[in-house]
Amino acid sequence: MRDPAAEIRKGVRAAAPSIEGGPRLSNRARERIAGYLFVAPDAIGLLIFVGGPMILSLSLGFFSVSGFGEYAFVGLGNYRRMIADPLFWRSLEVTILYVVALVPSLYVVGLGLALLVQTNSRFNTVVRSLLFMPQTVSLVVVGLVWQVLLVDKIGLFNQFGAALNLQSISWLGDPRFALFTVIGISVWFLMGFYMLIFLGGLQDIPREYYEAARIDGAGPVQSFLKITLPLLQPTSFFVLLVSTVAAVCGSQTFDLIYIMTKGGPANSTSLAIFYIYQQAFLFNEYGYAAAMASVLVVVLMAITVLLFILTRGGRFTYG
Amino acid sequence: MVENANERGAARASRRAVLAGGVATAAITGFPYISRGFAAQTLKFWQFYGPGGGVATQDKWFVDVAKSWNDSHEVKVELVYVPNNAYMDGTKLPTAFASGSGPDLFIISPGDFLRYYNGGVLLDLTPFMEQAARDDFFPSVIANRMVDGKIYGLPYEVEPMAMYYSVDAFNEIGLTDKDVPKTWDELLSVAKKLTNAKRYGVLFETSPGYYQNFTWYPFLWEAGGDFQTKEGKSAFNSPATVQALKFWQDSINMAVAPRKPLGGGAWDSVPNIGSGYCAMQNVGIWAIAQLREGAPDFKYGVFRLPTPPGGKYLTIGGGWAFVANARGLNPKAAGEFCAWALGSPKDGSSQRIIDWCTKAKSDMPPTKSALEGGKAAFENGFLKVFTDEIYPGARAEPRMPPPVYKAISDAIQSVQLNGQSPEQAAAAASDQIDAFLSGYKGAPIL
Repeated sequence: MRDPAAEIRKGVRAAAPSIEGGPRLSNRARERIAGYLFVAPDAIGLLIFVGGPMILSLSLGFFSVSGFGEYAFVGLGNYRRMIADPLFWRSLEVTILYVVALVPSLYVVGLGLALLVQTNSRFNTVVRSLLFMPQTVSLVVVGLVWQVLLVDKIGLFNQFGAALNLQSISWLGDPRFALFTVIGISVWFLMGFYMLIFLGGLQDIPREYYEAARIDGAGPVQSFLKITLPLLQPTSFFVLLVSTVAAVCGSQTFDLIYIMTKGGPANSTSLAIFYIYQQAFLFNEYGYAAAMASVLVVVLMAITVLLFILTRGGRFTYG
Repeated sequence: MVENANERGAARASRRAVLAGGVATAAITGFPYISRGFAAQTLKFWQFYGPGGGVATQDKWFVDVAKSWNDSHEVKVELVYVPNNAYMDGTKLPTAFASGSGPDLFIISPGDFLRYYNGGVLLDLTPFMEQAARDDFFPSVIANRMVDGKIYGLPYEVEPMAMYYSVDAFNEIGLTDKDVPKTWDELLSVAKKLTNAKRYGVLFETSPGYYQNFTWYPFLWEAGGDFQTKEGKSAFNSPATVQALKFWQDSINMAVAPRKPLGGGAWDSVPNIGSGYCAMQNVGIWAIAQLREGAPDFKYGVFRLPTPPGGKYLTIGGGWAFVANARGLNPKAAGEFCAWALGSPKDGSSQRIIDWCTKAKSDMPPTKSALEGGKAAFENGFLKVFTDEIYPGARAEPRMPPPVYKAISDAIQSVQLNGQSPEQAAAAASDQIDAFLSGYKGAPIL
């Protein structure tokens, strides 16, 4: 009986151009080359669009840049200036506070919501969609809508407070509340996204584990602590890493701050990323901004390395 | 011989390939020159008065100016609309210049003048203007657009700051136009009476930025302060600074002013005083046009800024100016356009300024000829109040580099909204200004 696969292999070999006198590549070598070729588009893209700009940005930190084409080498001048700049340190403080408040809040709210809507029912499908809905709206629109809701004295929140005889609060105009208001809105905006990630993680946990635990007399809390949380470790690692990086970069909050507070009141919402933006684009201090961005990258890398060390490179054992 | 169809196809394909290659080569090598040539014939003019903007007559004015120029000149002007937010505190203009592709023409306020002048991108417009046209500008208005006697920007408006009040709110508590506050203390006292569960008595800017500084300077001047001595040292640490900072702080501490204005900010009159959110608002002359278009039924009055005890009335006269990019593709044509539009009465520049200040907007003119030519309008209605009472006390908006602006901004913010002691804030800002001024090498700060 003819083997069709062998016939095809034979045909391919016959059709393949041979190089006169050249050594034939082994299958292993050919596979390796094919592998590199598959990876090449990504690698080249990363090199051009990520690696290149990173090196350029790092280099820019050693120059004074006018923003109009003039560059002057200043060595570590920008880094020395950073050490003496109280606003830079203030922006780091704000960023740390922001990260410390946002990341655990997102984790708890995201996981909590995922647990609440994890069973498949029509009602839960609708609720999941509603919770994810803020993600479909532009952050600029989100900022504008919340700004209206939080207006001093006559905004919806303050009117509700007034009905309860509470004093009007300037949610975005008082330095005591502004950052926490921004964090609250960020959690509201992002919770649907993290809920979906946790839902994926929860659905990967075999139902049999819970049944076995129930037979052994475990309650919901024990099941959660002994089964859900340990088996969610990879998902938790992903959520913590992504939300921490996003919080330090301010990538998911920059628009909110730009629209709602402009870094105020009194620099209370001036995250490091916003201060870098101000230095670069409002004050034309591109070199100084690049130096601060480099420091931020180092901080991010340190956090990432720490997370990888704690989780042994993102590998988890459940025993 | 039978020609092989495949070979013929291959030959055709290769001819096509040669042609395509040729076109591609032309595109890569030649088209940039062609497009540069085209670009040199079309000047890009960046501004923020775009179609569908807040006030239709303002967009139309820019369109008319460009059309009028295009009808009579070979090099054309193309208007490019940049949204207000992206223009004033945004990245659009700085990144364009940083990447070497700044517009040929754009508009700037005095607050941004030094950034672009020190960057070497502002074209000297003096050679494009006749002496009479240069002399036509009020010296106090043109001064902060000049360096070493040369003009680098041509203003088309002067925008003095004033106080607006709601007639209905005043009537509600039995006040009339005779009760408008004349001193800072009176202002706070009247504001307190006007404040209720749904309304603030007075509104000042609270968002950090160039505009907040701009609106605060007149109070500093009225108290007798300044930010720089004649010797180029900081003058910010003074009792006058403390007094002006404290005045704004008191308005927040007494809960008669909001910590957050509505709409775009405190420059936006319709969502604030026009909606009844506040009874008095610190805003510029442009609010007349805003209210005329956005709240035509709203009854209001205008009065000049109150003064501190022993202080002298002063206000600030801001306003935007046309500038040309010295590194643009056709700086000569760009300079000619600026001069033609605003600095050449024989080409109709006075009428353009009158139209802008009286029809498109509600502003004071920067030139003597426009003030004279538009007399009928400037001596009517609210513009008359500005002409007779408010404009005479106007001082030009300061031009200062970003680090000085930022130090002052932080002082205002920390005192107004964070309860910091005015004395401490003034001293800290003064130290920062001094540290910067000691190494500053750009054009004079005014």
